[in-house]
Amino acid sequence: MGKGSAQGESSLGTCQSQNLAAWLMEANKLEIRPFELPALGPKDVKIRMKAVGICGSDVHYYKHMRLADFIVKEPMVIGHECAGVVEEIGNEVTHLAVGDNVALEPGVSCAHCSHCKEGRYNLCDEMKFFATPPIHGSLANFVVHPASLCFKLPENVSLEEGAMCEPLSVGVHACRRAGAGPHTKVLVMGSGPIGLVTLMAAKAFGSPRVVVVDVDENRLKMAQELGAHEVVCVSTRIEDVEKEVLEIQQKMAADVDITFDCAGLEKTMRTALKATRSGGEVCLVGMGHVEMKVPLTAAAAREVDILGVFRYRNTYQLCIDMISSGRINVKPLITHRFGFSQEDVVKAFNVSAMGGSAIKVMFNI
Amino acid sequence: MAEVQEGGFRAFHPSWEDPSCARNLAVWVCGVDDLRLLPYTVVPQLGMNDVRVKIKAVGICGSDVHYVKKLRNSRVAMKEPMVLGHESSGVICEVGASVTHLRVGDRVALEAGIPCNSCVLCKEGRYNLCKNVRFFGSPPTNGSLTQEVVHPASLCYKLPDNLTFEEGAMCEPLSVGVHACRRAKVEPGRRVLILGAGPIGLIVLLVSRAFGATTVHVTDIDQRRLMAAASLGAEGTLRVSSDMNDMENEVMELKQLIGVPIDVTFDCVGITKTMQTALKVTKSGGKVCLVGMGQDNLTLPLTSSAAREVDVLGIFRYCNTYPLCLDLLQSRKVDVRPLITHRYRLTEDDMKEAFQTTAMAGDAIKVMFTI
Repeated sequence: MGKGSAQGESSLGTCQSQNLAAWLMEANKLEIRPFELPALGPKDVKIRMKAVGICGSDVHYYKHMRLADFIVKEPMVIGHECAGVVEEIGNEVTHLAVGDNVALEPGVSCAHCSHCKEGRYNLCDEMKFFATPPIHGSLANFVVHPASLCFKLPENVSLEEGAMCEPLSVGVHACRRAGAGPHTKVLVMGSGPIGLVTLMAAKAFGSPRVVVVDVDENRLKMAQELGAHEVVCVSTRIEDVEKEVLEIQQKMAADVDITFDCAGLEKTMRTALKATRSGGEVCLVGMGHVEMKVPLTAAAAREVDILGVFRYRNTYQLCIDMISSGRINVKPLITHRFGFSQEDVVKAFNVSAMGGSAIKVMFNI
Repeated sequence: MAEVQEGGFRAFHPSWEDPSCARNLAVWVCGVDDLRLLPYTVVPQLGMNDVRVKIKAVGICGSDVHYVKKLRNSRVAMKEPMVLGHESSGVICEVGASVTHLRVGDRVALEAGIPCNSCVLCKEGRYNLCKNVRFFGSPPTNGSLTQEVVHPASLCYKLPDNLTFEEGAMCEPLSVGVHACRRAKVEPGRRVLILGAGPIGLIVLLVSRAFGATTVHVTDIDQRRLMAAASLGAEGTLRVSSDMNDMENEVMELKQLIGVPIDVTFDCVGITKTMQTALKVTKSGGKVCLVGMGQDNLTLPLTSSAAREVDVLGIFRYCNTYPLCLDLLQSRKVDVRPLITHRYRLTEDDMKEAFQTTAMAGDAIKVMFTI
């Protein structure tokens, strides 16, 4: 039997008779408690969770118990960026076997609405997404999930890299929506985890030049290490927009075709709309402020389009392939690791919340 | 003669004292609300690729009125008097040495903007965004509300026999609708909503239907304009208010009226209330197209619509639309004739009345000069 809770605060890993999960009980209160799994359906798999990353949205729920219109009304299991080992398969599952390493795509869509049928399942109104209330997340020993959303990892892709497919998918989806490619020079606003995966995705898509901006020099250093051609350290002052746009354009030494705003603040959007060339695209990836106001007139009169991004769709296989082939290396983004214990879970969330040098905090279960 | 006004605006133009062109009159804006019918010198020597056109019909639009009232638009200010007008058609009376596709006597519609043809945007076909475009009636380029202009032959399009000069002039505003519907990818299956039933909204309605949209609904604050929309094929209309507090209710009413998710919303007004409505009412994954220029500094919260992947597309004039406009008009897939509500001649009194009528809107849709 596994090392269980009877031995105090040691790792609550392989306990087969009882599934434990990290529950968000109330603001700033996470507790490891039992988590009852649903029965295994014929098309489902049961996954022994191995690697789970923490995302800004997890931290936001931890602190505020809500995000935009999603409200945590009762205790909820947290976490959604995950990978694990297939423990059991439903009787109609053919493409996976017990023992397979898989990355899990978190969102279960309905498959029969027009969004789903048209291939835009990320917009499904009935979406059930790990750790978006009221759906429980995956920071647990085991979860049950549709097999069609579990992607087998090749030998050379680790479980941690599998978990990283989730945030990487956001960057990949944004690059697809905006049409990033060998012909696009890209500006990335914000050098946090999302800005960095967007940088990597843009380069993987062939963008010949990527400039990254941030207020934090250390984060810009990370961007440079990950392949940003140029970085610009910017301020938080809105009065500096004009000056910073000039600096950005100088550093790009060309027109900016696409700007990804991975911070989602009024200042970053203003900068994006001014810096992007006529006929270019601004892609709003970050969710900084819900009521953030954007000045539209000047941008619309230059046909600078503003694209929204919500999560991702049809990205997992591509992410796995790009990691496997070496086109993208996500490993440097994992800056902190923790085990699955009450103490570690709380520490991990606090580290992630502090930002700074913490990019991706990963649980190894 | 030279009156220097504030802001360095010098209310004089050398044309007025040029004896050789006393015969070519034009409508000049010389100051706020100061319209004058005065001579306009057109280049005597024709370039190899140019044509000389005797103008026959010119429509005027809100942007022309804006110059009369403000001497500027949001981007550029007049520094001297300017000839107004950009929606025009006429007859060729002379062709440049290298011009082969047009002849003297040909009736043509004139595309208003001359791009540089050498910048990246021009070469990519998005010449409407050319930084150095010279556009009729946009300072410092004089317009075409005159009797004669010289223009590049490549921007003059021969009118089919069954179209009038007025319909030729209408290609210009019609182009805005075509460009908008193209950018927003209006096609069969799409449910379209148009906010604002002014000339542009009505044109977008006509083009949306011609492009095969399944249904087109229209809103406006003015019942008469909604009746015009209904008569031009709107599936349904909704009268809305100009009060921001009514927005939430109107969004609900619109959703009920239309009954199915809205794929594309064209904001043909361009103010805070209409854009907010558009962003809320459009389905996830849909598009909002900002066509109208109601407000100089539209500033809006975007997060909740962006988080539903509702994209915001801007529209600036048009490109590569004239041939399609002429096809749509010739085949009667679009009929712009009902939009021409008022007609005037090139006289002092008519000129003033024409601009007043346009400025007042009301039951005026398109005001047309016959030259």
